[in-house]
Amino acid sequence: MGTLGRAVYTLGNWIRVTGQAMDRLGFQLQGSYYIQEQISRHRTLMNIFQKSPVVDKDAFIAPSASVIGDVQVGRGSSIWYGSVLRGDVNSISVGSGTNIQDNSLVHVAKSNLSGKVLPTIIGDNVTIGHSAVIHGCTIEDEAFVGMGATLLDGVVVEKHAMVAAGSLVRQNTRVPVGEVWAGNPAKFLRKLTDEEIAFISQSATNYINLAKVHAAENAKSLDEIELEKMLRKKFADVTRSMIR
Amino acid sequence: MAALARISRRLLPRTLSTTLPGRAFTAEAAQSAQNTTKPDPIIRESADRVKWDYRGQRRLIPLGQWAPKIAVDAYVAPNVVLAGQVVVYDGASVWNGAVLRGDLNKISVGFCSNVQERCVIHAAWSSPTAFKKNTTRALLVKYIAFLTGLPAETSIERYVTIGACSLLRSCTIEPECIIGQNSILMEGSLVETHAILEAGSVVPPGRRIPSGELWAGNPAKFVRTLTHEETLEIPKLAVAINDLSQSYFSEFLPYSTVYLEVEKMKKSLGISI
Repeated sequence: MGTLGRAVYTLGNWIRVTGQAMDRLGFQLQGSYYIQEQISRHRTLMNIFQKSPVVDKDAFIAPSASVIGDVQVGRGSSIWYGSVLRGDVNSISVGSGTNIQDNSLVHVAKSNLSGKVLPTIIGDNVTIGHSAVIHGCTIEDEAFVGMGATLLDGVVVEKHAMVAAGSLVRQNTRVPVGEVWAGNPAKFLRKLTDEEIAFISQSATNYINLAKVHAAENAKSLDEIELEKMLRKKFADVTRSMIR
Repeated sequence: MAALARISRRLLPRTLSTTLPGRAFTAEAAQSAQNTTKPDPIIRESADRVKWDYRGQRRLIPLGQWAPKIAVDAYVAPNVVLAGQVVVYDGASVWNGAVLRGDLNKISVGFCSNVQERCVIHAAWSSPTAFKKNTTRALLVKYIAFLTGLPAETSIERYVTIGACSLLRSCTIEPECIIGQNSILMEGSLVETHAILEAGSVVPPGRRIPSGELWAGNPAKFVRTLTHEETLEIPKLAVAINDLSQSYFSEFLPYSTVYLEVEKMKKSLGISI
């Protein structure tokens, strides 16, 4: 760096220091309202005790999700924004191609009223809708848990079964193959048609593809993000001038 | 059948390991025993998976050419995730923990509306990635769109209050409504002007909630019509929440001071700034 470059750099430094000093002055004036910001300690994959999550390299775990403890996530699976998979007191295993959508909670039960210890086992190609609560259940392959559903301890959702949106499935209920259960408490509603069963597997496949898009986007570094922002702005300017 | 066998094989070793005390070698032995009996897709971990990204979760996630847009005076909490085609119009607010995923279709939050804590708003159909056009899903959504005449995008018009922990999927909410907390609105539902949905209501796919009525329950059923005074209160609630959001808005300056921490960290780790 030449002398001019160094001079400009030093000037920039002075301005920054002045700015930081003014920032601190403002905080002093604000008195007790001063909040010292700290970097978020949120960790996507977090160990607890001696258990650590084992996540396949093809799985998409959103940065705001929390995968804690003894959790295994298979290939092609996706854990979406805001979901919490707490394998602290027992284990959770998520198969391949499964998607656990936004804001859901998967937890395990160490002890409940009936005294059983229940790991949570979620099979392959399962779709678990937004904000579902899965507590100590076994969900077999290609099942569909609707959004907002709450599945309590010991529930078994068999292959190709569907738990409708908003339902509350009480403890130790078994949802048999190919049936739709709905309501609070969940009761048998109707049987699934073959088309709907095909749709469930199709939706799981769609989510695998969608997860790849999100994974690529979330993994970008600051430089890439800034570059894309600039490109987008340029593109918008070009289209605006074209429209005019 | 095979799946059941697989699952029972997975279950048994696990219960074994859970009953053993937390002594290092016995736990190891149980672990190795468990591993040998598991025949199935071995999970291949990647060495460079980031376990902790100090940047946290980005609020705005552009996908392809769609970037979420937030109006200048809209309050969007730092916890929120806006992905894909999401537009948050003036005076609107999106509160903590909400997830608005416009990856398959468009989501718009209208003027002075608010999406409260931990809501999930999604829109179905038209995935840009491999999607076969003649699947049942496409047919279902097209059928709903044909029936209801509604597009598969989620549009929330002006002065709408969406209560906490609601789940909205491909629905249209006309101006001046209140959606209660923890409610679930499924694909193709339409909530007409001045309607109120009680907390915990589940609206089945394609259901229309007529204008000026109060609906509740799972599935949502008619309760009563609203009086004119109650109808007048609806936009007042939205405006009140808008006022509240302005004080939150002023708490979050455009630039935070976290960069100071980052610089300190970089200095202490010897990374050049």
